[in-house]
Amino acid sequence: MDGLNALLVKIGRSVGGVVGTLYQAGRDSVDTVIRNVIPFMAFISFIIGLILTTGVGTWIANGISGSASSLGGLLIVSVVCAIPVLSPLLGPGAVIAQIVGTLLGVEIGKGTIPAQYALPALFAINPQVGCDFIPVGLALGEAEPETVEVGVPAVLFSRLVTGPLSVVIAYLASFGLYSSSN
Amino acid sequence: MTETLASWAEEFIAVFSKGGEVLLSLMGGILPTLVVLLTAVNALIRLIGVEKIEGLGRAAAQPGIQWYPVRYMVLPFLAVFFLTNPMAYTMGRFLPERFKPAFYDSAVSFVHPILGIFPHANPGELFVYTGIAAGITTLGYGLGDLAVRYLLVGLVVIFIRGIVTEAITKVMIARKENA
Repeated sequence: MDGLNALLVKIGRSVGGVVGTLYQAGRDSVDTVIRNVIPFMAFISFIIGLILTTGVGTWIANGISGSASSLGGLLIVSVVCAIPVLSPLLGPGAVIAQIVGTLLGVEIGKGTIPAQYALPALFAINPQVGCDFIPVGLALGEAEPETVEVGVPAVLFSRLVTGPLSVVIAYLASFGLYSSSN
Repeated sequence: MTETLASWAEEFIAVFSKGGEVLLSLMGGILPTLVVLLTAVNALIRLIGVEKIEGLGRAAAQPGIQWYPVRYMVLPFLAVFFLTNPMAYTMGRFLPERFKPAFYDSAVSFVHPILGIFPHANPGELFVYTGIAAGITTLGYGLGDLAVRYLLVGLVVIFIRGIVTEAITKVMIARKENA
């Protein structure tokens, strides 16, 4: 009888543990969605609404689609985003990348930018990723101050090379993407 | 006069009703899936335990060419998947100082390419991917192809970024010691 009791307690505990974990996971995800995702959706929706209803759309379309619908244009965008002085300014919260991404999405949806450029564009708008966060990121990795001193310029200069390179790789990898079905 | 004002008012409110439509489509489209997926992955991570990948962090610290893919592809992937942005960068603590900037560069460059398939890793910056992906959806194509290619190209790019940044760090450390 004692053995059975012990078994029941054990089962009860582990089931409770799993259910508790799932419940906590649900709470975490709802929390993230309310705190981080929905506010950004509201902000993005406003911008899209503005683009679609006002003349801003055509103005942006002419500006962006010109540069985003050729490899050369995308390379220029990526080089600009990777300039060591600019990249830390463009980085915070990936806000710039998210807005530009959304603008490009609208233009891709309208057909002004070919669909297969979605992949290289994802890299072209993002060579600055994390450039604002290098000292903090290195501190999280328990780096020495000397490493931070060297690491910040090392990452920034590396992006000048790897930023445009990532666009070229993505461009090569985009062959056959959404074009065969046309 | 009143007609002009009335048409202005209509145009003004049209901006926000269009925005409202977009918001509703985003919340109806992406959000339910995202909540369920976030819950599942969060639960999985809790059940597995993040301490499991720490051993890999120690292995990746070793010198030798065969550890490059581990350090700048496997480790950043697992760190971003399990620890998410920004805690993923704490995995750098297992690496020697000369690898830390390169690991950071590699890991931080992966927090967006992972979003197409695993949005739990960086939900606050979802629109880097979702913004462009929305255009593909508008055209009526599936997103799977783009998401997979984004992830795979991302892995190649972080690998290259790790190697390049490690090399630049090495040169800069040497120059600093000579100075």
